[in-house]
Amino acid sequence: MNARSSKRLATPCAARVRVGECGVPVALGGAAVDSVREDWVVEDRWWTGRPVRRRYFELVLEDGRNVVVFRNLSGGGWFTQRG
Amino acid sequence: MALAPEAGREQMVGEASAPAEAFGVVAGMRLGEALSRCPELRLVPPDPEAVRGLWHEVLDRIERIGGAPESECAGAAFFEADGLRGIHGGDLAGVLAATRRSLGRGSRIGAAPSRFASYCAAREARPRRAPVVVEQREAAGFLAGLPTALLRSRPEFGPLPEVLDRLGVRTLGELAALPSRSVAERFGHPGLLALDLARGRDTPLEPRRPPEPVSERIELPEAASGQQLERALEMLIARVLARRERRGRALRALAVSARFVAGGTWRETATLRIASADPERIRLALGPKLAELPSPAESVALEVEAFGPPAQDQGRLLDEEGAARHARLGEAVRQARQAAGESAAMRVLDVDPDSRLPERRSVLAPFVDSTPKGRHR
Repeated sequence: MNARSSKRLATPCAARVRVGECGVPVALGGAAVDSVREDWVVEDRWWTGRPVRRRYFELVLEDGRNVVVFRNLSGGGWFTQRG
Repeated sequence: MALAPEAGREQMVGEASAPAEAFGVVAGMRLGEALSRCPELRLVPPDPEAVRGLWHEVLDRIERIGGAPESECAGAAFFEADGLRGIHGGDLAGVLAATRRSLGRGSRIGAAPSRFASYCAAREARPRRAPVVVEQREAAGFLAGLPTALLRSRPEFGPLPEVLDRLGVRTLGELAALPSRSVAERFGHPGLLALDLARGRDTPLEPRRPPEPVSERIELPEAASGQQLERALEMLIARVLARRERRGRALRALAVSARFVAGGTWRETATLRIASADPERIRLALGPKLAELPSPAESVALEVEAFGPPAQDQGRLLDEEGAARHARLGEAVRQARQAAGESAAMRVLDVDPDSRLPERRSVLAPFVDSTPKGRHR
């Protein structure tokens, strides 16, 4: 595949997330989290030199948006991602 | 007595009379169960054609007193009463009295601020008794005590009423008390609509369009089948297309019906994917329906249920051969790229659709007009 002319979809974007006591997001950007619909952990590509470990949260924000964010458990940092 | 199962359909009884209901027979019950509950049950063959005719007469009567009725199925109709007060004495009572005079004393009439609430009110009403009127301020209280099973009257809810029952939400009041967010998360859009109904709100009415009856009937000399029926269908199509009322319009939806030699009627509706005035296309759509005719017929009829745009206005792109369409698409892609660069036409290519990492599932790749089918969307 031609890397120059193709583009991956749903790539993660860095996000500004404020977390509560248990490491659960309480705000994304300026919007407070209304509820956490689901959370799950993904461990993948552990057989390679660049394993992936993420903890995902599906959030409902107070402004009505439904978003998915994850915390990178390997390198740190929060990201949003469209699935 | 109860209506017998429709020919060729599931073996379930239709509407039941009050004495049959006293034995526990209800519409939608399996025939075997109905007969075991009421061994003396008399089954009457259904006559959907006659029902349709009678129900149209009821809707006509509502229109004659000024109402604009909405009716999804025979047996229940809704119309706005507010706009009619002026012509029926200035108040709701006048409108209800005019409705009663128009429909007869056997009808059940209810009035409420929403469609669903007025349906519930009409169910509470009794024939030959005063209509049940629910004021705006009373609507929530009136609905609160009623069972959620009443939501079954709206087919868009599917199995929701049963699920609510299993969860112990048995009355509309209990449903109305649930937080909107929880209902939305658990049941999605149907749940929110059900919540609205339980709280006395509803979607706006959509009155029927004035009917334009265009129908043709052919008497069959004997128990026709196979090729004879096909010929009869061809003739009906030709006659309908020749009717002056069509005014050059294509046909969108048609109903083919039959009257059986042994009594009873049958009716099936077909909606064309593309409105058409092409006899061959219409025949291909209706032929399989007529082949399902469950019993020998003495006559068959064809009725236009909805017209499409004028026949000459139909787009031609979809009618063309695949190759010509493909060539046009390729040319359009080339022109778009000429103007806006390679990224003007892209396609989503699934590279690892089962990956647990969303960014590994799909890529955006240049659109190639010779792409094989299947792996792109």
